[in-house]
Amino acid sequence: MIRTPLRPLARILHARATGANPDAIERENLRQRHEVIRDRARGRAQLRLLFLCMCFFSAFTVVGARMGMLAASEPMEPRTAGTGVNIAQGRADIVDRNGRVLATNMLTHALYVQTKDLIDPARVARELAAIFPELDAATLERRFTDGRSFLWVRKVMSPEQMQLVHEIGDPGLLFGPREMRLYPNGQLAAHVLGGASFGAEGVDRAEVIGTAGIEKALDARLRDPAQAGEPLELSLDLTVQATIEEVLATGVRQYEAKGGAVILMDVHTGEIAALASYPAFDPNDRPNPLADPNAEPGDSPLFNRAVQGVYELGSTFKIFAAAQAMELGLVTPDTPINTQSLSVGKKRFSEFDNHNYGPTKTVAEVIELSSNIGTGHIALMIGGERQKPFLKSLGLLDASPVELVEAPGARPLVPKKWPDVVTVTASFGHGMSSSPLNLAAAYATLANGGTKVTPTLLHRAAPMAGPRVVSQQVAADAVMMLRRVVTDGTASMAKMDEYAIAGKTGTADKPKRGGGYYDDKVVNTFASVFPAEAPKYVLIVTLDEPVDRTGPEVRRTAGWTSVPVAAEIVRRTAPLLGLRPAIAPQPLDGLTAVKQ
Amino acid sequence: MSFLEYRVKTAPTGFSKVFALNWALVLVVTAVAAIGWLMLYSISGGRLEVWAEPQMKRYVLGLVLMFVIAFTPIWFWRSMSGMAYAISMILLLIVEFFGTVGMGAQRWIDLGFMRLQPSELMKVTLVMALASYYDALDDKKISRPLWVLVPVALIVAPTVLVLMQPNLGTSIMLLVVGACVMFAAGVSFWYFGAVLALVVGAVASVFLSRGTPWQLLHDYQYARIDTFLNPAADPLGAGYNIIQAKIALGSGGWAGKGFMQGTQSRLNFLPEKHTDFIFTTLGEEFGFVGAFSLLILYGLILVFLIWAAVQNKDRFSQLLIIGVAVNFFLYLAINLSMVMGMAPVVGVPLPLLSYGGSATLVIMLAFGLVQSAIVHRLR
Repeated sequence: MIRTPLRPLARILHARATGANPDAIERENLRQRHEVIRDRARGRAQLRLLFLCMCFFSAFTVVGARMGMLAASEPMEPRTAGTGVNIAQGRADIVDRNGRVLATNMLTHALYVQTKDLIDPARVARELAAIFPELDAATLERRFTDGRSFLWVRKVMSPEQMQLVHEIGDPGLLFGPREMRLYPNGQLAAHVLGGASFGAEGVDRAEVIGTAGIEKALDARLRDPAQAGEPLELSLDLTVQATIEEVLATGVRQYEAKGGAVILMDVHTGEIAALASYPAFDPNDRPNPLADPNAEPGDSPLFNRAVQGVYELGSTFKIFAAAQAMELGLVTPDTPINTQSLSVGKKRFSEFDNHNYGPTKTVAEVIELSSNIGTGHIALMIGGERQKPFLKSLGLLDASPVELVEAPGARPLVPKKWPDVVTVTASFGHGMSSSPLNLAAAYATLANGGTKVTPTLLHRAAPMAGPRVVSQQVAADAVMMLRRVVTDGTASMAKMDEYAIAGKTGTADKPKRGGGYYDDKVVNTFASVFPAEAPKYVLIVTLDEPVDRTGPEVRRTAGWTSVPVAAEIVRRTAPLLGLRPAIAPQPLDGLTAVKQ
Repeated sequence: MSFLEYRVKTAPTGFSKVFALNWALVLVVTAVAAIGWLMLYSISGGRLEVWAEPQMKRYVLGLVLMFVIAFTPIWFWRSMSGMAYAISMILLLIVEFFGTVGMGAQRWIDLGFMRLQPSELMKVTLVMALASYYDALDDKKISRPLWVLVPVALIVAPTVLVLMQPNLGTSIMLLVVGACVMFAAGVSFWYFGAVLALVVGAVASVFLSRGTPWQLLHDYQYARIDTFLNPAADPLGAGYNIIQAKIALGSGGWAGKGFMQGTQSRLNFLPEKHTDFIFTTLGEEFGFVGAFSLLILYGLILVFLIWAAVQNKDRFSQLLIIGVAVNFFLYLAINLSMVMGMAPVVGVPLPLLSYGGSATLVIMLAFGLVQSAIVHRLR
């Protein structure tokens, strides 16, 4: 900065020369300098004032905007504090493939007591016991007065019960809102849904957690707050499920069986359209597991026979031996096979009821007649080292990947060693066990043209292309052979005009707990696909210890029990699945032309 | 060089001072106060004598006080600054040390007709002291550390006393008002930057150290800070007022429920409905339109004040008006953001609206000083 001197010499000299007062020049310069300083200070001050004004203005804008936001907001009462703030609510609904509700939430109330606020514990205990029959007045009163300050009485209750409790009118009785799981269809699809119960509980809310079935398997998805509004869409079809459960229940009663299971699955996508196990239970009120440790798990209605029931599936396995032999090029459907006798080491195999089917039959006839000896010969042609990987590639040797929490626990029982005897028995479904669901997936592979199928309970938009297991030709031949079982063989009761079913029966003796097999206890399975000309669905019907007493003799083979049940299911569900019946041409006898 | 003689020559004298007053400011202030009376009338369920009438009386008293101060020359008030500051300090000390013993933890001094809170008075006298300090100080010395320390001491002393009462809201206001006057006076940016950095650093280190082995506060102290910052987490305790206030504002919507129709405030959901939370009643009964109109009136008052500051060439007057404006702004900014859940609840009234003697009188007193500066300004 260039400073003007207060007393510039030239001007002073000039002033002196003109006789003016040189001090006036100094005063003038000083004044000017002060003015410059003052102006600069004022400018700076005003700049700062502007800055403050901007702060004011922005604050006003924020306040005004917030005011607008609040004015536009919906007034909302505060949502509870205290315990359980972190408990997530709003478990997602479960719906079937058409959006019909299978599981939803209902608001109800829990009842708790703050004993310090109770006016008359004895009266409250007496009246509560009158409202809730499972409570005991004396016990309640003792618990009200033994010094604790807080006590749960009921986890959930109906609105009527709540009103009655209100009418007791004691300030110590308090209600906490509870979102509880509701299965509006009762027993329908019980084994798929499983059930739910309360997890972490606070006074004002409780966490609903899945305890079984898909509720537990997909618990994280159902509780995910990000997807709370989106229901979980299952592949099940509620109407088909209901029909199948009804037919199964009738079949079980008719054939005096202990229980049964049915699986209906799309062969292309692996979507399970229906999965039923009998006896069932109500997931709204799940029964307790059996207390008796020696009891068979199948005695409990909680037991899901379709997934957990690991049975010897019997002759239904024979088609796999035939398919693999064709795939390997060892046989064609017309290759003659020895059906006279079969011995491996000391073990001699025989046919069911010691039938004799003659010296040779073609491969197709072996399946049709369900010849153990013939299938054993085919299996020996394949050999155990090729048979086992093939069964594995069909998914028969592993636990099912389906979205049920019970599935991983139900591992198929597979012999550790695989000598020729096992090769032969495995080929007709003995000596190894698998679940009906695994069987369904394996049949779906043959029915859809030879690609592996992963069963699922979730609704899928597009088919899942699994790895190829057998060629399309082999798959078609296998279905053709299965069709002949129905038209000419052991499953003739599934023959009907409207729908062409192809399938294979299987009857296996039940193993005794200590070893060996029962003579009079069997598991009957009918594995089928329909419509036979272009299979869309696989249907597995398994009956546990059925017996047919309608004929002159007692019959326990699948052809007489599972097959008619399966036929009835197809007859009733095919229209629901959108399949058109084949209409036989009607003779036009009674037709007369009307003359005008 | 003194401006005094110059001012005496140009300032109006006698009755002509009435014409020199900023009447628009008086009008707007009265309008805001009238809104306050309406609200108090509504909150008390249509009775004048509960809150509205005493508040009117105080306002009239304040108005008289304002005129008296306005007609007294500003240079007199400048020379009284030091004295005023000292008196408020003494009053603060009295309530601090004798209030707790003799009067049961009171923050006020009973004057018979009203209770005076010295901390409210301090908001104005602090501004006066700082303004006269910078008026007297040579421009060159403003940013010298030693000369910065003096106003800092002037600010910190009452702030600490008020904080000990404890009254967080007022102490924050004292700090910010003081800082703003210093800022407007031209103290170097570096001081403000340094203080800001220090505060931010301290807050950050307190929060960043949380959960680490060397955390600076105890867990329960952090929990208290949490509740303080986010009262919604404790809706039945600390957050109760805020949530009810938000409900009131939200239920008012755009046009409001109508005069005397507010339920939230009249059904006693709000404990502080007639003092700190009076804004919620306005929002509920007159909606966004009413609340925003009030905001505009407040904005108008601030615009008048700032315009008066810009126009005034006297340094004391300018700084004084700025201080009053900042004070006024802080009152309403803190109160409104508190009510609308944007800031913690610290107990700051809404100026001219909230029921209460000290704040109203002090604000009118401050406006009197502003009017005096306007009347006796350099022309």
